[in-house]
Amino acid sequence: MDDYTPIIQTSGLTRRFKSGTKTITVLNDVSLTVNRGEFVSIMGKSGSGKSTLLALLAGLDRPSSGGVSIDGEAIERMSEDKLALLRRKKVGFVFQSFHLLGNFTALENVMLPVELLGQPKPRQRAAELLERVGLGGRGHHYPTQLSGGEQQRVALARAFAPDPAVLMADEPTGNLDGENGQIVLDMMLTLRRDHGTTLILVTHDPALAELSDRVIRLRDGRVVEAVSHPHPPDPTPAEAAR
Amino acid sequence: MTLAQYARLIVRESRRSRGRIALFMGCIAVGVAAIVLVAGLSTSVSDGVRSEGRRLMAADLVVESRQPLPPELDTILASYSPGSVERADVREFVSVIVAPDAQSSLLAELKVVGSGYPFYGDLRLDPPQPLQQLLTSDTVVVAPEILARLNLKASDALRIGGADFRIAGTVIAEPDKLSITFTLGPRVFLSPDGLARTQLIGKGSRVEYRALVKLPQGSTAEDAQRLERMLGAGEPAEDSYRVRTFTEAQPQLRRSFDRVGRYLGLVGLLSLLVGGVGVAQVARAWLASRMDDIAILRCLGATPREVVNVYLAQVLLISLAASVVGALIGTLFHWLLPRWMPGLVPVDLVHPWQPEAMVRGVFLGIGVAVVFTLPLLIGLRRVPPVRVLRRDAEPLRSGWLAQGLAALLILSGVWGMAASQADDLEHGTWFTIGLVIAVLLLWLAATLVSRAARLLPRDAGGVRLRHGLAHLARPGAGTVGAIVAIGLGVTFVFATWLVERHLTDQLAAELPADAPSTFFLDVQPDQWPRIEQILKESGAEDIVSRPMVNARFAAIRGVPVAQLLEQQRKNPPPPPRHDPQRAERDDNRRGPERPRSRPRRWTLTRELRITYGDQLPRGNRIIAGTFPASPGIPNALSLEEDYANDLGVTVGDTVTLDVQGVPVELTVTSIRTIDWRTMGMNFFLFAEPGPLDNAPQVRLATVRLETADLPRIQAAIVSAFPNVTVIHVREVMEKVMAVLRNIGLGVRALGAFTIAAGIIVLGGTVAATQARRAREVALLKTIGMTRRDVLAVFAIEYALTGFVAAVVGLAAASLLAWATLTQLMDLDWSPKWSELLLAATITIALAIAAGLVASARALAARPAEVLRSE
Repeated sequence: MDDYTPIIQTSGLTRRFKSGTKTITVLNDVSLTVNRGEFVSIMGKSGSGKSTLLALLAGLDRPSSGGVSIDGEAIERMSEDKLALLRRKKVGFVFQSFHLLGNFTALENVMLPVELLGQPKPRQRAAELLERVGLGGRGHHYPTQLSGGEQQRVALARAFAPDPAVLMADEPTGNLDGENGQIVLDMMLTLRRDHGTTLILVTHDPALAELSDRVIRLRDGRVVEAVSHPHPPDPTPAEAAR
Repeated sequence: MTLAQYARLIVRESRRSRGRIALFMGCIAVGVAAIVLVAGLSTSVSDGVRSEGRRLMAADLVVESRQPLPPELDTILASYSPGSVERADVREFVSVIVAPDAQSSLLAELKVVGSGYPFYGDLRLDPPQPLQQLLTSDTVVVAPEILARLNLKASDALRIGGADFRIAGTVIAEPDKLSITFTLGPRVFLSPDGLARTQLIGKGSRVEYRALVKLPQGSTAEDAQRLERMLGAGEPAEDSYRVRTFTEAQPQLRRSFDRVGRYLGLVGLLSLLVGGVGVAQVARAWLASRMDDIAILRCLGATPREVVNVYLAQVLLISLAASVVGALIGTLFHWLLPRWMPGLVPVDLVHPWQPEAMVRGVFLGIGVAVVFTLPLLIGLRRVPPVRVLRRDAEPLRSGWLAQGLAALLILSGVWGMAASQADDLEHGTWFTIGLVIAVLLLWLAATLVSRAARLLPRDAGGVRLRHGLAHLARPGAGTVGAIVAIGLGVTFVFATWLVERHLTDQLAAELPADAPSTFFLDVQPDQWPRIEQILKESGAEDIVSRPMVNARFAAIRGVPVAQLLEQQRKNPPPPPRHDPQRAERDDNRRGPERPRSRPRRWTLTRELRITYGDQLPRGNRIIAGTFPASPGIPNALSLEEDYANDLGVTVGDTVTLDVQGVPVELTVTSIRTIDWRTMGMNFFLFAEPGPLDNAPQVRLATVRLETADLPRIQAAIVSAFPNVTVIHVREVMEKVMAVLRNIGLGVRALGAFTIAAGIIVLGGTVAATQARRAREVALLKTIGMTRRDVLAVFAIEYALTGFVAAVVGLAAASLLAWATLTQLMDLDWSPKWSELLLAATITIALAIAAGLVASARALAARPAEVLRSE
């Protein structure tokens, strides 16, 4: 599964914000490579630049200097339209606060990326994915009618619906209690394994980071440590639970 | 994305914002309704007049004159198409009719019709028989009103011009008379033989002579115009009569509805633009609440353009739906209006179904919605997707260039729509400039108040006032928009109300003191001593009488009128002073028979009424020359200022009159102005005694009578002298005021659309901040405020909003009314404080009511619910 070809590469990635007259450097000269199929965790304290790095890797934000490429395409100079099309095809997201579209039902939320891609049978595919996250009967519910754990499972289904090459997850269990967090996590890892998706996970949880192939630690916007796990944990927690 | 994908996205995006969509629609629908109503009404009347021209004239072509029609007319008609052209003669004049007991009498409009009338349209009579069968030499057919007012019934007797007639029936509908035509009295139909039995014709009565002409079956407008040209070319004294074909029926009505339509069209646009402000407010709040979802859409790969398209398509769809609803409401009002105000709208010409007006309304509705939301929609391009990770990531502020372009877009949109509504670039431009100034003033005042609210010491007024002020002062409260919207509505409605009030007040107020109450027309010189005696015996005051001579101009400064007309035909001069307002005023002063297109020509050819005497009437002021003239100058003449200007003569010039065949040369020795408000007897031409003493003449008299004495005196005089016409000024004035009040009511009813739009905008502004208000209410309740306290806090905020809108709006309205009355109409102005106060109170009350209704949901929220959903 891991073919060790790079899917995301950055060089000298730097992001500064202006706050009044001061300039704050949130991310400072970060160069890293993520390989296809790899599971990378990004750790660090609040304000260390984790979310900023994730946003830059996904092309949601633009670097102040340095470059990012996804699947060989340099994205720092891409137009908004091209970036949008790139995300549509290759990047999925799961967020701490779920970010489901409030006016859409669960099913429609999952259908949307498939529809945007113009792939056939979006409804059927969305229904299958909802089934897989255990929400087969809840497709017609609006996000406000679902619990937090259920909402995040819908978000998972939506993230995997277009079969993205990369999944970006920003503390996906941060807003959930332990039990629900565990369910979501298991599902995410299972789906990732089945789809062969590259996963970049921002987390505070060392136990979760332990499961990844590699941990990148940030402090004050710099990479201070990158730990590789030579042998990916096997079996995955989901499999062990069976 | 494909169209189907867009469609699905739009449906899903919009379905959970019903409240907002309803407000959005309300803002647009109100204005569209006003526009469709006005456009529909004016097209309806104009089309009705055009398509029913034959009915409205009861003929294909009409020849009309103030003198008997020349015998050559028949020759020309015969030469057009021998034997196939039919002619029916009609004469109309006013006279007093008397009940058989001689105790009650009434001014009526008499119509003498020959056989053939009407060629087109239905003359509906009761009993339903042909008019010619009912009318004999001793019968009349009368309007039902006459029976009611003289307390008569069918087959009773009636005295007209000294002869007795039997009432053979009543007239229910007359094809060539509209429901809104201004009349001096109800209708009486008379046969030519019947007229001959009276003593009314040939004693100076002002008779309108008309020949109705029917062309052979199947004749077209071109045929009628061909005959019109023949009648114009063949007749040497062409200006002795006027010819109109059925395509030119009711020219006054069509002109005034056109003019009113253009003016009211702008009023309608104003309510739509006020709605536009509301749309912008609602859209701003709506889009602000969609920011998170837009960021998610962007994250999932929607391009900026796709996002803008999704929302633009929603705006288009909602405004289309709103405009259609508005157009239907406008059509409904169009259908109802003639039922509510039969005196204002020609009921029989109104056809509510006006697709063209509806299309216009729908286009303007969508146009306003797009123009007012496009700047916001384009801003959606700048929503950063990174907002999904950092909630505080605000849309990038657009630069001054983009903001300038947005302002330019709105301005040029408004300008274009105004020009289209006024059907005139200049009027549209002035409307836009006026609107921009009003908006700037309101905006400035609103901003100042918002700032001042921030600076005020808040400890002074207690906790509720403090909170109310704080709400007003909060940045982004939307207060400014609401104040501008309500203020515009207040300005317009109150300004029209003030103008109408001043007009009717002045008409009423300037009458009583010493104005004559009654006019006596067509008095023969030998009848006057006896009439004067009757009047004196019955206690009439201020009896004034003057001789009146009918004449025409024969020459001006020695140049024959025919030669002047010939010169004009070859080289038509521009009107001496192009001042439409003035021309309009002159029109109103001199009666409707003066066509505006060529005033000088008509001045030369019209029949003149000239008086003479050695003392000018009250209210006349000499501005050039002297009166009386210095003894050396014989045949002195004094002219009214505007009239002299129209003629192009001044002191020292001569004019030659043709007094029924006898030339009389007069020298202009003075120019004077006339204060028409005295309501006395006034003449443009006033000669000194001498040259006209022996000319054929009648006398006019004015007196002041108690209203209660009038019927008795009128009956006494008319019984003795049937040819005398008595006009009671107060009755006429009351009719004029009723018309003015009706027009004012109509304009204000339309203005009410503007206020309604303003109130919806305030409601929208409040509802847009519903979520924040609910949170605030929850917090306030948590810290121990009662619902009543919270209600008071909100009420104070809305009252302050209404107060500022009222103060600025009323100030602007007063300024506008002052300018209209003193600058355009030469009338006096006085502020009406008590009414200003009342209007301010109403505005504030409406603002409080609308605000509280819109915040009902927020007020009802339980603290726990709101805080839990945080």
